[in-house]
Amino acid sequence: MDTPTLLTHLESHAVPLTLPRGGTLRWDDADLHRAAYTADPEGYALLGLTPGVHPWQRARVLLQVLAASQAGFDDATRATLARVARVLTLGLPPAHVITVLLALRRLRANHKHTTRATLRFVLEHPDADALIAARRPALRDCFEHALGKTTARGCARRIADGDTGSDYLQRRLLRFLTAPRHALTRVPALYAAAPQTGSTPHDPVLAVERPRPRPGTVTATNRGDIAATLVHLYRGGPAEELYVALGRYLADAVAAYPRFQGTVALVLDASASMRGYGDREWALMSQTAALRMVLSQICERLEVVEVGGEERLPRGATDLATGVLDALAAGPDLVAVVSDGYENLFPGDLARVAATLPRIGVTTPVVFCHAMFTATDDLSLRRPAPALPQRGFWHQDDFDALLPWMFGHCAAGGPWLRAALRTRLDALDRQAAQIGGTAA
Amino acid sequence: MTLHDTPRDAPAVPSTAATTLDTLMPGPLSLAGHRLGTPQRAGALTMVPISGPAYPGIVPPRRGLKLARVDGYGRVELHNGAADGVAIVPLHIGYIQDAAQNHALCRSAFIAPGQSLMFDDACCVQASQGGYLTARDQWFFVLPVELRMRALQLRGVHDYAKLWGDIAALNERYGLPARGHLEQILSRKRPVLTQFQSRIELQPGQLGAVFFVDGHLAGVELAPDPEYFADVWPALVCFAYGVAAWHAERQRRAKHAPAAPVAAQPFEATTLSELRAALDRDRAARIAQVADWLADVPTGPLQTTEEERYLNLRLSTVTGPHLAGQVVTDGDRAVYASLFAPWPDRTAQ
Repeated sequence: MDTPTLLTHLESHAVPLTLPRGGTLRWDDADLHRAAYTADPEGYALLGLTPGVHPWQRARVLLQVLAASQAGFDDATRATLARVARVLTLGLPPAHVITVLLALRRLRANHKHTTRATLRFVLEHPDADALIAARRPALRDCFEHALGKTTARGCARRIADGDTGSDYLQRRLLRFLTAPRHALTRVPALYAAAPQTGSTPHDPVLAVERPRPRPGTVTATNRGDIAATLVHLYRGGPAEELYVALGRYLADAVAAYPRFQGTVALVLDASASMRGYGDREWALMSQTAALRMVLSQICERLEVVEVGGEERLPRGATDLATGVLDALAAGPDLVAVVSDGYENLFPGDLARVAATLPRIGVTTPVVFCHAMFTATDDLSLRRPAPALPQRGFWHQDDFDALLPWMFGHCAAGGPWLRAALRTRLDALDRQAAQIGGTAA
Repeated sequence: MTLHDTPRDAPAVPSTAATTLDTLMPGPLSLAGHRLGTPQRAGALTMVPISGPAYPGIVPPRRGLKLARVDGYGRVELHNGAADGVAIVPLHIGYIQDAAQNHALCRSAFIAPGQSLMFDDACCVQASQGGYLTARDQWFFVLPVELRMRALQLRGVHDYAKLWGDIAALNERYGLPARGHLEQILSRKRPVLTQFQSRIELQPGQLGAVFFVDGHLAGVELAPDPEYFADVWPALVCFAYGVAAWHAERQRRAKHAPAAPVAAQPFEATTLSELRAALDRDRAARIAQVADWLADVPTGPLQTTEEERYLNLRLSTVTGPHLAGQVVTDGDRAVYASLFAPWPDRTAQ
């Protein structure tokens, strides 16, 4: 399966994993996950960290990574998979992780990396005490599956008898842990006769998605720093001060992104509707311009085809079809159409041109990036080419998910995507280590 | 006036369109120097922009024209607050206001700089205090084309309730409660109607437009200059003609709702250059179709009755079997025109 299709699935397929009592694991898209893992284990695991992936899909990635054998993998790949697993066990709602661990038990997956991840979750999760109190039987099952029932109970008996570090305990249990002392209190808790108390902590202890506080009222200037500054520039604000700030905001925004070693052709809708009017004036154009600025910083080559007017002077009607044909003339790796979706100069042409391109041998991917005022815009009259891959954006934070989606459509984007997700994994893993250190 | 091909490489348009549009204007009125642009389409609404030489000295509505007061039912006073420049009150303008019934005017008028004018033949568009049109950006509207002929006929009639029956009938035809509340359409359907302002986009230098709904001529609008036209544009595209287009789209969807989304038809081409050529040919055909719509507009004698004068300007009412409205002229030059087709109930068609 190609990256964009897989990514779309990971973002949109929200069906939970379930374990019916006495039944088999319900994992409706298992074949898809297995195939993707088999094709590229590291790339698959990293893709699970892409912003916007649904938690239940991240749970599936965790399940797949822990269930599959790593025989034959090099050390680097194993290390990446282990780090992804650690991030996901902390970055998913604990109940999701428990479902995954119980699913591993049903699947009888008992690889070393499975054992390690399970034991660390059960005994070292920052909320482990509350989790054990609330889900004792389930976590005990996970613990016993990880070690084997006999070994698990042997370890528990030894700890109950005062063993704090015998060779047996070390070889069978403690070597899998980063903070072995927790096992000495939490393994007995797993076998305590006390009834379950409290509720399962719901929130992940690690934020995989960037927290996005949302304003009660969306305005033209509370949609991210770059767009807000551009709006003030468009309105005629103090240029020097604003440009200095703009440079700073742009540098901050692109710092996390690797370089895209290819060419993007941006068809930029600069028609009158992109300027908007009233309270929303400049909102769409400023965010579109922000995307353009970010792309100009991270792309080896960016070709911009403005349609209608210009970024600073949006006017006229929208001819997206001709814009795409002009963009293709630049020989890009990717064509990205950025528009509010109102195609009024010969409507329907973009869809017809997009449908024709594959028939005449043009394989350059064309994606449609929907400029929106809020995430809840009604797009029913704003889909000029429904068959094109499309994704909306309204806030600067949306670039985190938009850019991987865009670059994921072209071959030249593969290295970019992997590099970006590795950077993201590094950052999340550092946070996970801090959480682990705090918990320890 | 000729249909001008603005898009790059677009083919020429049959010249018959030019002469046909000229026949829509009454008498010997000249539109010398005016040109038609490339049509835009959004669903059932097609707009052909008009550009041309500006006529100086007319104050644009937003800058100059203010609602001074509503002096009871059916009496609306407007004020031209500009230091210079006569105001031409847009035909069938309706005002939105807080804490009073909303009114529309049945006629245009001249208001000299600094002057106020009381319209005592205004029509109330709310049969009862059923709620107010929300303000925000559309500080005024223009009556929907479905009501314009009746409103024009009722100019000079002092009866604030004179349009309630027609509004109620329009509401009923459009599946809304049969009440004399225009707000049922303008306010409740505002989210979809105001999208016409983005679905159809004002062109640089545009000072007029020809509107078609479902291929039928709905109206011809001409302003003295682009600024004036930009001021009335939202009211025209969203309300004067957007309402009929919205209804036509609903009818179209109800009749021809596809079971599944229809895939776009690829062009016949084997290379990118052939694709460009096919695109251009297809566009030329669509421009020609609009020209045919113009050519198919029935023609007939238009009667012109002068109503008001301001220096060299004449405000006249135009009536005819296929078109009616009001025009402002300076000699044989058309300065302002708001002409509309009688809009039958096409629900049954």
